[in-house]
Amino acid sequence: MLAHNPVSPSTAAVETARDTHDGAAELRLDGVTKSYPGVQALKGVSFSVSRGSIHALAGQNGAGKSTLVKILSGAESPDGGTIRLGGELQRFRDPMDAQRAGIHTIYQELSLVPSLSVAENIFLGQLPRRAGASVDWQRMQAEARTALDRVGFHLDVRRPVASYSTAEQQAVELAKALHKDARVLLLDEPTSTLPLPDVERLFTVLRSLSEQGVTLLYISHRMDELFSLCDAVTVLRDGVNAADLKTADSKAADVVTAMVGKSLEGSIADAALRGERSPSLGAGPRESVILSARDLSEQGYVDKVSFELHEGEVLGISGLIGSGQSELAGLIAGARRRTSGEIRVDGKAVDFRAPRDAIRRGVGLLPQDRKAAGFIPDMGVAGNITLASLPQFSRLSVIQSRRDRGVAGEMVARLGMKVSGVNQPLKTLSGGTQQKAILARWLVRQSRILVCDEPTRGVDVGAKEDMYELIREFAQAGGTVVVASSEITEAMMCDRVLVMARGQVVAELDHDDIDPAGNAILERFA
Amino acid sequence: MSRTLSPLPPTSGTPSPTPSASVGSRLRGSALRALPKSYLIFVLLAIIAVGYYVSDDFLTFRNAENVITAASIVVVLAIGQYFVILTGGIDLSVGSILAMSTVLTALTLQAGMPAGASVMFVLACCALAGLINGILVVWLNIPPFIATLAMMSAVKGFSYIIQSTSLIEIRDQGLIQAFSRGSFLGIRNPVLIFIIVAVVAALVAKYTTFGRSLYAIGGNPEASRLSGLPVARNLIITYTISGVLAGLAGLVAAAQLRQGSSLIGVGYELDAIAAVVVGGASLMGGKGDPLNAVIGVFILTTIINIMNLVGISSEPQLVIKGAVIILAVFLSSAGGVQRISGFFSKHFRRTQAA
Repeated sequence: MLAHNPVSPSTAAVETARDTHDGAAELRLDGVTKSYPGVQALKGVSFSVSRGSIHALAGQNGAGKSTLVKILSGAESPDGGTIRLGGELQRFRDPMDAQRAGIHTIYQELSLVPSLSVAENIFLGQLPRRAGASVDWQRMQAEARTALDRVGFHLDVRRPVASYSTAEQQAVELAKALHKDARVLLLDEPTSTLPLPDVERLFTVLRSLSEQGVTLLYISHRMDELFSLCDAVTVLRDGVNAADLKTADSKAADVVTAMVGKSLEGSIADAALRGERSPSLGAGPRESVILSARDLSEQGYVDKVSFELHEGEVLGISGLIGSGQSELAGLIAGARRRTSGEIRVDGKAVDFRAPRDAIRRGVGLLPQDRKAAGFIPDMGVAGNITLASLPQFSRLSVIQSRRDRGVAGEMVARLGMKVSGVNQPLKTLSGGTQQKAILARWLVRQSRILVCDEPTRGVDVGAKEDMYELIREFAQAGGTVVVASSEITEAMMCDRVLVMARGQVVAELDHDDIDPAGNAILERFA
Repeated sequence: MSRTLSPLPPTSGTPSPTPSASVGSRLRGSALRALPKSYLIFVLLAIIAVGYYVSDDFLTFRNAENVITAASIVVVLAIGQYFVILTGGIDLSVGSILAMSTVLTALTLQAGMPAGASVMFVLACCALAGLINGILVVWLNIPPFIATLAMMSAVKGFSYIIQSTSLIEIRDQGLIQAFSRGSFLGIRNPVLIFIIVAVVAALVAKYTTFGRSLYAIGGNPEASRLSGLPVARNLIITYTISGVLAGLAGLVAAAQLRQGSSLIGVGYELDAIAAVVVGGASLMGGKGDPLNAVIGVFILTTIINIMNLVGISSEPQLVIKGAVIILAVFLSSAGGVQRISGFFSKHFRRTQAA
């Protein structure tokens, strides 16, 4: 850890009051745990970061990163374990506590007040005052300029923050943290909203801060960033350390493997990881092409993707989070609007302006965020199941409620949904049951193509297996399935896999091309 | 009521835990769902009992007729408002549209238009106002509160302009007969109108694809869109219906008062919203029952009537009305019943343990 830790002389000059524990870590976590009702988010995370280094924190969604950020920033307190800062035990009661100790967090969503000036934002909550109550504007502006100089930006500190670009606002946020004597900076995916040239500039700033002795904890999914910027990386998975690596002597594939992990014990997916080839979900592609895309693009998300979808196959679209697989799924299902390119269904060019158009062509979507986009919380199971097929269940727009409930009852039995009755509000049911209800919606609609966006996110292991079984049944009955997923094991179950990175398809693999460990896919991620 | 009184299957003798648990949860589920409705009728009955106790004139045929007639206008408004609120929106313009309806009716009749044509014309104008509301909300993406607030102001101004004098008298007996004085099978026409509107609304809400889609849109607009529901179209229709119903309420008001004036219906939109909310609908959308909105209107109207009978002056009346709205909403939608029963059961358990 100490190998890469050049403490420059200037640091000592600036930070004279700061204790320099030789050899001791600036930030050290030991066995930090945290649980919420129903989930253990952190099961014991330990790592240490040496002073002035840039340390990366990586992990899939749900790995515990955001919980850890909340704990370090003082927003939540841990159930167990210890946090040491410069060797001293810390216990934060609230974010102000953490900031007083010197830990500052820069969130993806910047926490500046857009209408206030740059200087006011930097001094927010502690405006310098003259005798009496008047604000010492001159001192404030001068100090704000100095703080901005440290991050290498020269802005007019009197102008409102809203008038600056995202990169400049980020600089203001950094200056604000430095002005408050930040020792440790937590950066939560700072580049996710930045255009590429600004990313380089940010990295230059971050490197110079680390030379000044500021310790940086950098959270990101992007392998190239981790390797070009960071000294070491801690990978979290399922609330524990999955790996602690030095970037100098490891490969991107090591990090990805640790991130994606090999959990799911005793499942279909697990079979693959125990050295057996994972059983394929689909019946294998047939001759006829049911849907094809050519140069399909959505500005900023999907870049010129072309592929053919064969009737009866299960096509995986695999990629790390944010690689565009989710957006591609949305484009196929009409939930998003393409900016260019072409989609053909049954050989005919189609223009999906809204989900309705895709549904009419037989495409149904299982959205990623079930709660926000999947179901109607207060509506009963039956109402949710028949939602996309109301015309079929009505005569002269009067709902034939007996048929509606009857079909819902059949679906409940067929999919093994645990409900007390078809009128039970869907919000009172488990994640897996909710997901089955949305699947049932498309079965009732007799959709030919089922587009699943992260179909097993937020459902427990048992329900996961059920979902796979249902997808398999759907495919065997002649249906076609697209599975967009960031879980490698899910991709390995598909007949064919498109691997995506940065919005582009970087590889197309057949089920038989994928080795049991999934390295064929993993290599392409990095 | 009948649901709660229905004989329960004996659960004490069953040894297996699963069926009894599911029966228990089912009962609890149905009881919870039936609760707001039965509770609201109960509140109304309690208020009527209070009225009977404090005033001899309250439970007379004449007074009942007064209350029902007074309520009929707001009921029609509240039904339109209910559908808008069901979608997660709000319509502040209905009071102004009602006033515009009275003015337009008086003007067209004065100009010699036959009553039937006048009614059609007025309803078409009010539908147009509602349609514009819908378009503002759906196509221009203006929040419903702002869009209908602007419409409220614009329509009010428009009524002032076309009215030009202080008020316009209505002498057309056909219109007065149809919307105020006339009766059918012993039920006066305004009452008949509100009953028809309420029954149709209840049926639409419960049994039609349109009603189902409004619950879906209010509950989760994105899921509704992804399920292929015509979200934009149905929202526009909903605001248009609200406009038409405000126009219809205006016709009743015009016939009752025998005049058209832009000063009629001031604050009615708030009465309608209050009634819908007292009726247990959520302003977040996706929940409620139009008949409960009707009961909500009657709760508020009856309380005002009782206060009038016992001679409470109008200023304290407003204060009491405000308190009633808060109380009703606390009990129905803010989970007050559960909280109070929770408090009692906890308290009871504690004393038992002690």
